[in-house]
Amino acid sequence: MSATDSQTAEVKVDIAQLRRRQPRFQGLESGHRACLGCGEALAARLVLESAGPNVMIANATGCLEVFSTAWPESAWRVPWVHSLFENTAAVAAGMEAALKHQRQTAKVLAFAGDGGTFDIGFQAVSGMLERGHNVMFVCFDNEAYMNTGIQRSGSTPHAAATTTSPAGRERMGKRHLKKDIVSIISAHHIPYAATATVAYPSDLRKKVRRAIDVEGPSFLHVHSPCPLGWGHDSDKSIQVSRLAVETGLFPIIELERGELTSVMPIRHPRPVVEYLKLQNRFRHLFADDARAREELEHLQALADYNIEVYGLLGDGPDPLDTNGVDSVRRGGAKWA
Amino acid sequence: MTIYTRGGYALPGSSLAFKTGTWRVQKPRHVHAAAPCHAVCPAGEDAQAWLAKVDEGDAQAAWRTLVSVNPLPAVTGRVCPHPCESACNRGDMDAPIAIHAVERYLGDEAIRNGWDFGLAPPPADARQVAVIGAGPGGLTAAYHLLKRGLRPVLFDKNPTAGGTLLTAIPSYRLPRDVLNAEVEHLLSLPIEYRPRTILGREVSLDELRQQYAAIILAPGQQKPRPWSVDGVTPKDLHEGLTLLEGWNGHQSAPAPYSAAVVGAGNTAIDVARVLKRAGVTEVHVISHKAKPGPGVPEDDVMPALAREITQAEEEGIRIHEHRGVRRLLLRGERVVGVEMVHMKKLRRANGRLARVAFDGTETVLHVDQVIPAVGQVLDTRGFEGLLGGQGWFDLDDVMRVAGQRNVFVAGDAGGNAGTVTAAVGQGRVAAAAVAQLLRGEDPVIEAPRLGVPYAQLNVHYHEPAPRVVERVLPVAERGECDEVDLGLDRHEVEAESRRCLSCGNCMACDNCWTLCPDSAVLKTQEIASDGSHYVFDYDYCKGCGLCAAECPCGYIEMIEDL
Repeated sequence: MSATDSQTAEVKVDIAQLRRRQPRFQGLESGHRACLGCGEALAARLVLESAGPNVMIANATGCLEVFSTAWPESAWRVPWVHSLFENTAAVAAGMEAALKHQRQTAKVLAFAGDGGTFDIGFQAVSGMLERGHNVMFVCFDNEAYMNTGIQRSGSTPHAAATTTSPAGRERMGKRHLKKDIVSIISAHHIPYAATATVAYPSDLRKKVRRAIDVEGPSFLHVHSPCPLGWGHDSDKSIQVSRLAVETGLFPIIELERGELTSVMPIRHPRPVVEYLKLQNRFRHLFADDARAREELEHLQALADYNIEVYGLLGDGPDPLDTNGVDSVRRGGAKWA
Repeated sequence: MTIYTRGGYALPGSSLAFKTGTWRVQKPRHVHAAAPCHAVCPAGEDAQAWLAKVDEGDAQAAWRTLVSVNPLPAVTGRVCPHPCESACNRGDMDAPIAIHAVERYLGDEAIRNGWDFGLAPPPADARQVAVIGAGPGGLTAAYHLLKRGLRPVLFDKNPTAGGTLLTAIPSYRLPRDVLNAEVEHLLSLPIEYRPRTILGREVSLDELRQQYAAIILAPGQQKPRPWSVDGVTPKDLHEGLTLLEGWNGHQSAPAPYSAAVVGAGNTAIDVARVLKRAGVTEVHVISHKAKPGPGVPEDDVMPALAREITQAEEEGIRIHEHRGVRRLLLRGERVVGVEMVHMKKLRRANGRLARVAFDGTETVLHVDQVIPAVGQVLDTRGFEGLLGGQGWFDLDDVMRVAGQRNVFVAGDAGGNAGTVTAAVGQGRVAAAAVAQLLRGEDPVIEAPRLGVPYAQLNVHYHEPAPRVVERVLPVAERGECDEVDLGLDRHEVEAESRRCLSCGNCMACDNCWTLCPDSAVLKTQEIASDGSHYVFDYDYCKGCGLCAAECPCGYIEMIEDL
């Protein structure tokens, strides 16, 4: 320290003590085996932070289940049940019915990845929604089967390379489009469905509270970057997720009873290449190749479509748009 | 050994038992690097630190942080050319913080509320240090000596303390009530002040050496730099500094119909504006440099304050850029005009910068008087013996005179200050060196700190916000002494401090705490020992680098940890 005399005396900190005194609910503890910079681990902790202790979780097979519960340890600090890959929603529905019978108030959360939601678990999700169970279903979307080795899923975006949709002579990554899961879920006429991302934690928390407070099924779709599967540096997870929103590729919206009730406006729309060039799964799109150029245009058109359909362009700076919602204040007031 | 039957069991074992920190190959670390405003401040102020206090709503704490370095904020807030604002990272985003205006506000508030410096009188056995000259350098040196437990004795040749601030800066820029209040506030501390004492007349250097443990010389530069055009000077030459002294002392100045001021610094602009106020109809400034503006290289900009230049032009003063005086047009010994020529500083074949005049670009300016304002030199009376026959001091890093053990220099006298703020900085450096010397240590200067570059901040988290527009007195209402800059109010100052990007220092925004996927950033209620509000739990930190990438302030760096 130089000229100024403002330095404070050294404070001795007992880290273990300090960990117990953190002013937030720590539903997913440290020591889990998620990779460096894991978006899903962050998303799960943020969801639980707002959902609070009075919850129970049914968790589908997948990364989240594997990295959080290496036997004989668990990172969860709430009741947690491991279901099969495909039946999380059914297990959650059963838990909810049992709690109702016991007149307990705990909210049941169902956690699944995109495989457990979009593909394998889809019929169970649809059934749970149709039967109107009071469950909050959270889909942590990392856009492929990461746990088993990055196989494409119904959620993998168009043109992304995975081990089962490789880029090469024949194809520019995945041929098909990403399934519009939020619209499909909302078509069940459920009271609340929303998308969110780890790049905007305050927005995510607000949506968790809304989804918890609603009576009946609610659905949260959380964009969760996977540094390993997407091929970006571990310190870029937030930036990648933010760019997914700012390009329009991942619109942040809320749907209630199937109706669009709010969107997060984009203050400065970014070209999709800014998002794509950070990730190796889109690396082939930057080759000197006419098909690559076409796919880049295709992805830009998909983003433009989202911006148009959901009306994502704001009119002027807004405290709740993509720049305003996470601007920092001294003392952390923005997260309140 | 426990026997498990078939089926799923979870022991009540927490994953906390598994220390994922062992995976790490790099780790985050808090680094309080200097904000650019701090790195470039000639006085050594950490503007980021006191802007943070203003943002917290505690103006008095901000002032205390400020005066822990610079005891003259109401003065420097008004007269400093604020290199801090030129360096401010916010300039890359929208516009720099109006640091000088916040500093001025804090100085004025301290005067208005009589805030206490909180300095105890020196102990009875404190050693005495003589400080020669009660200008900005000497006053600051005395203050910092007192702060370090020494007993300063401050000598000045004039009855009133203030030095150059009093004689050379006109009151429309630095109102006398503000200057006097700030100086008196300082002298109300246990600093012994001996006015009307001239070194070499009332007291000699040798006497001082015998009576005091150390000497800090801060006499300023009191003699106008000799000026002529090819050896010719007009008979009725008024020199800029002398003219300012006359105006500031007793409101008198020559008032011909027209005048040309030669120079590009604050003195030249001050002289021109004083002449205008004294009733001169046509005032010209002949500057060999350019007016500030976009695209003008830094070393080609007039050293005068940009806003002073703007205000001078508002008042009808004509500034001739890139011009030099080639010839005086004389009738007898009376000036009737000057011959100007286009000039530029160019790099010559030998690599040196030289002023080049371009033939064929001569123009004539009809003026009744030419006033040089081309700088001052040292008046060596009283300490000729320290100079070894030269006209300047030979100084080391800690402002000590070469070959002397306990004689230091601060301010313009040292030859490389040039601004009030630099004098303040040197006063502090000299006082710190004296304190070290008298503790029996070898005086060393603190290592300069590099400023955090803009690229190291994550500016996504900062909202654009326009810089406050300072109010100025309309030209028609500017009297002889009325202050032209009207300053900011509390709300404007607080809004301005909220714009600060907090470069290099934690602002407790919670980003790292919120965004760590491994919950390896823990929040402290107490400020942590390294100045942040968070500690890293290296037991679990996997070294992903998210905290560093998402820190808006550039306060976290990743280092190798194999």
